[in-house]
Amino acid sequence: MIVCVAVVGHQNNPLYLQSFTEADDALKLHHIVHCSLDVIDERVNNPKKTGPTLNETFLGLLYPTENYKVYGYLTNTKVKFILVTTDLDVRDADVRNFFRRFHLAYVDAVSNPFHVPGKKITSRTFADRVSDIVRTFGLGTAV
Amino acid sequence: MENYAEELRTPPITLVSLVGCPELHPTISTYLHSEKPPINTLALPDFSKISVLAKKQMENVDSHLPVGILKRDWLLKHRTSGILKRDWLLKHRTRVPAVVAALFRSDQVSGDPTIWLQVCTDLENLKIVVRGRNIKLVVVVVQSTDKDEVSEDRMIALRKHAEVDSKYLLIFIRNDESELTKSLNRLGGAFAELANIYYRGEGRRIKTCIEKKSFNFDELNIRYCFKVAVYAEFRRDWIEALRFYEDAYHALHEIIGTSARLPATQRLVEIKTVADLLHLKISALLLHGGKVIEAVVWFKQHIASYKKLVGAPEVVSIHWAWMSRQFLVFAELLGTSAATIPSNPSLVLGTSEKPLTGWEFHPAYYYELAAHYMREKRHCQEVALSASESSKGIGSSSESVIQSIFVGQFTRLLKQGEAATQPLTDAEYVHHVLAEGKRFQDSYYIIALLKKSFESYSSLKSQRMASYCGNQMAREYFALGEFGSAKSLFDGVASLYMQEGWITLLWEVLGSLRECSRRLGSVKDFIEYSLEMAALPISSGAESFGCEVYGPAGPPTFPQRKLVHKEVFGLVKGEPILTSDEGNCILAITEDQPLHLEVDLISPLRVVLLASVAFHDQVIKPGAPIPFTLSLLSQLPNPVEISQLEIQFNQSECNFTIASLIKEEAVASDIGETGTRVETAQNLSLLTNKWLRLTYDIKSEQSGKLECVSVTARLGPHCTICCRVESPASMDDLPLWKFEDLVQTFPTRDPALAFSGQKIVQVEEPDPQVDLVLGAGPALVGEHFLVPVTITSKGHAIYSGELKINLVDPKGGGLVSPREREPFSMDSHHVELLGISEPDGEGESQAGMDSIKKIQESFGLLPIPFIKLGDSWCCKLKIKWNRPKPIMLYVSLGYLPNNEAGAQKVYVHKSLQIDGDTAIVMIHSFMLPYRQYPLLLSRIKSYDSGDSPSLALNETRILIVSAKNRSQVPVRLLSMSIEMDDDEIGRSCTVLQGGDSPLDNAILVPGEDFKQVFTIIPELDFPTLAMGTVSLRWSREFRFEEQSHTGLMATEVLTRHKLPHVNVEMAPLIVNLECPPHAILGSPFTCYVRIQNQTELLQEVKYSLGDTQNFLFSGSHNDTFFVLPKSKHTLGYKLVSLACGSQQLPRVTVTSLKYSTELQPSVSVSTIFIFPFKPEIKMDDVGSKLPESIVT
Repeated sequence: MIVCVAVVGHQNNPLYLQSFTEADDALKLHHIVHCSLDVIDERVNNPKKTGPTLNETFLGLLYPTENYKVYGYLTNTKVKFILVTTDLDVRDADVRNFFRRFHLAYVDAVSNPFHVPGKKITSRTFADRVSDIVRTFGLGTAV
Repeated sequence: MENYAEELRTPPITLVSLVGCPELHPTISTYLHSEKPPINTLALPDFSKISVLAKKQMENVDSHLPVGILKRDWLLKHRTSGILKRDWLLKHRTRVPAVVAALFRSDQVSGDPTIWLQVCTDLENLKIVVRGRNIKLVVVVVQSTDKDEVSEDRMIALRKHAEVDSKYLLIFIRNDESELTKSLNRLGGAFAELANIYYRGEGRRIKTCIEKKSFNFDELNIRYCFKVAVYAEFRRDWIEALRFYEDAYHALHEIIGTSARLPATQRLVEIKTVADLLHLKISALLLHGGKVIEAVVWFKQHIASYKKLVGAPEVVSIHWAWMSRQFLVFAELLGTSAATIPSNPSLVLGTSEKPLTGWEFHPAYYYELAAHYMREKRHCQEVALSASESSKGIGSSSESVIQSIFVGQFTRLLKQGEAATQPLTDAEYVHHVLAEGKRFQDSYYIIALLKKSFESYSSLKSQRMASYCGNQMAREYFALGEFGSAKSLFDGVASLYMQEGWITLLWEVLGSLRECSRRLGSVKDFIEYSLEMAALPISSGAESFGCEVYGPAGPPTFPQRKLVHKEVFGLVKGEPILTSDEGNCILAITEDQPLHLEVDLISPLRVVLLASVAFHDQVIKPGAPIPFTLSLLSQLPNPVEISQLEIQFNQSECNFTIASLIKEEAVASDIGETGTRVETAQNLSLLTNKWLRLTYDIKSEQSGKLECVSVTARLGPHCTICCRVESPASMDDLPLWKFEDLVQTFPTRDPALAFSGQKIVQVEEPDPQVDLVLGAGPALVGEHFLVPVTITSKGHAIYSGELKINLVDPKGGGLVSPREREPFSMDSHHVELLGISEPDGEGESQAGMDSIKKIQESFGLLPIPFIKLGDSWCCKLKIKWNRPKPIMLYVSLGYLPNNEAGAQKVYVHKSLQIDGDTAIVMIHSFMLPYRQYPLLLSRIKSYDSGDSPSLALNETRILIVSAKNRSQVPVRLLSMSIEMDDDEIGRSCTVLQGGDSPLDNAILVPGEDFKQVFTIIPELDFPTLAMGTVSLRWSREFRFEEQSHTGLMATEVLTRHKLPHVNVEMAPLIVNLECPPHAILGSPFTCYVRIQNQTELLQEVKYSLGDTQNFLFSGSHNDTFFVLPKSKHTLGYKLVSLACGSQQLPRVTVTSLKYSTELQPSVSVSTIFIFPFKPEIKMDDVGSKLPESIVT
């Protein structure tokens, strides 16, 4: 189950962060998302380590915490998407598919003429769409 | 790692034993220890001590045997009541040697029968001990030198007695250095070989047990595998060791569910302890073998398989402590083998099945998780303790619980000092664990773990991970009540969160910081953190946030922000706050300790109060009012009432205060004494995200920069907040709020001002009230041109005035001070400032002023005396042009309008362009006497030598010098003369001034010419003869009114005109035409052609005469004749004119055959006027010299 998705701006500031759990771990998820930025930074700054994934937006598994897995995605405008899931067996293809759909939703949201780039995303439509994508995660249904 | 015994942490080292010859033991053990691989030595001084090597006797078991239990059963039970014996490994490392060396001195061996017998007995005893454990034996005979040999028989006897192979009967020579080394080498080699055999044999023995499955208990399988692995390690056979450790590990894993030997809880504890031990060994072997990926994968599996074995709920804490230890140990192992981590790209990816990430190769990750599980442990323990305390107190009986002989087991010690033990029940064990746990300071342990993680992450430059650890450390300190440490850690974390705009995280940290400040009793910090919190961009309503996780901050909601705001403003207004829950101390702002907050451009409090000032103009006159807008913005959730605003400028006299209208009276009395300006405003209340704009006029008397520096707002009776002022044009976005989707607001109503407004305004200099007049006029080259400068005071008296004069080339690119130029450059000498003449009659301070006056070629500095209001003062600048050149004259006057101390200098600048003109232009021309033609050979030879005129020696030449006035003013000529250079011309030629009349101060009006005629007779035959210089003295002619008005005196100017060099040469022939100036119609007249030969040679001359219809003439048309040397030949013609008027004479052509040159006079020369009749005019004076002046 996806517990949290986040959009992080290119100054590493959160633009959108939504958790999907009932429990009181919002703060913890904030911490996880924030810490995972370190991994993204390292991957971006040391591209030699990532070798074949150069120029790829999908960053893969960032780091495993004791209960979560964190995946990352970096758009070409240096906006980061972060996914936190509790599933232990996640197929890469599912995550890629998720990020692809999420990216489309994000592009639509920031294309709104009333949205100022670099500011937080407050669009309700975006939130609804993200919830929808999260709900259908791993069901294997391509859009 | 320190929890583990030394033998578990390090690989085992072979142990050998030395018996006998104690004096040699240090030498041998040092040598063996430095061997590679090292060998440890157990040294026994003599053979009486060999019993320590023997197997433990079973007799003493009887004393511990519980009553009614058979010895065999007890032994069996004893053997199988645990998995691993605690001291087994230690025993093999320190007490059970692989090899025993019996050392005998050679004299002992070769001694008399009694000694020999003793040797044999010792050896026999040793053999008995050794055989029980399969220990290998080496016999060493110690000789002092290689000379004192033992007899062959004795050696054989010894070997037979000892039952050793001949190669293990060694000779050790100790007194010879080289032999000693050899002996030691031999000994070391034998030890290594035998030890290897021993450990292999022991391993094989146990391995066969495993293969035959000759054990009844699974525990024994584990124990056997462990032993085989240890023996393999002794042999440094890492691969086999690893394989058997893994076997042991797997076997252990299998008995988890099956074994029923001990009470459930203790069983699990034992299994986990052994698993921990085996895992430690496996990890260490893998990591030291460089197999980092395998180690990490192994670790993950290890954790995955044991993580769920939590155990009974009362002792969950043991499980978490165990988990924590796993992570800590692995972190430490990883840390020690950090150098061997390969930076292989595939490393990060791991296998495709189980991808690994970069962090899993860094100890920091494991330290952090160790801390995490430790926290879990503490939590569970607290729960368990509270449960047990509520039910029953923990008895002191747990004190007698000790570790049993098996790893991971605990027993109760029945009697102090004896080995009588009793197994524990699970309940007792839980008691014991809880009691132990109570003594343990978990928090500091957690902090230590986090600190390691923090340092490790920091060194990896993973600042966010590091801050996460820092945050957790700070929370631990906070929980412990060490608020100082907590605060410094929280501060570091907060700055990162603030920088990156993680509001929720920042909220939590600030809440903790605020609480720390409250507990520490720091009012200022408390207020700052509270204000920061209240101004965070959190707008969500009250949701079901768990208050617990956010610590003292409470949930990050808008109502909570308002609450914080209310609380802090209560404190600011004077309501004290308790610093701790006990209420023995309070936070308050009192009159004695007023609070002053500073907000600068980088302060986090910028969101609390942001001040911007925009002047409505960029430049103002001194004393003129300029409006400016002060705008204040706050993001605090509730309106903020400001009772008074103080605005500070860099010119302190401009400072003023704005008071709220409501509190005006109180404030006015407060600040009335200081005498500063007080304004009032209707409303000084700041609403959330709404600019408070206040517009006032400000006046500055002082020229220069006027800058608004800061604004101090009074929030409470003793609390002020000082805010650095920013310009709207260069204002940064608010931190944190810049990411929020807010309506953009401008600090000023005028959007243009919001983009361009500055907090700085330039105050101009005061306007001068003095006239500076420069007289103008065309300047002439050479004269001392006087520029009158008149200073007239109109509105200011002039104190300590100073006049600066600059002469600048207008093409030279603006006003460059000539002082900066090359002082002797040619350019600056074209025009010179010669001096300044001051008006007469003001000489009272003349002497003093002269010394101050500084005049250079193009720069002058002149002090001006005091000039009363309405007076004027005049001086003249004396400027001389050496060449015609336009210049720009800059004159600037600086003065003080009054002689008060703080008066500011006022400057007046004037400039004037003056073109220096050349007044007189002179040209000259040489002329021949009329109708006289000297033959100049240089003229014939080359036509291009005409640059310098050629003159004939001793022949008269006429020089006409003409001077033209090119200026716009009349000029009076004083004299004109030719001056010879260096007396040369005095000898070379005679100059006669033509026209005997003097110049008579002739006035030359603009454009007029003046001509002067000179006669020159060259007297020296010289190709380049200097002719000298024409000197013309003149002066400017002032009109009468000018002269009387300004009192200017004309200066005499000398203009020189250099005459060219001339070529003087002897003329071989001179032809003169001679004819009357006029003739009368019909009457005959005679013309002569005189040819003078000046040479020593006979000259043949040919001539011809052309016909003309107006004249009749007598004589031959052409002829050739000879002119004798130094003589003259005259040809004469008689002519009768046939027509009147200006008539052309017959053309005569004279040809010198010798020089092949022909002379044909020009038409004008051979023209004559014919009168019809004899005119009635007097023609006495008219000579043939100047005919053309009459004709023209």
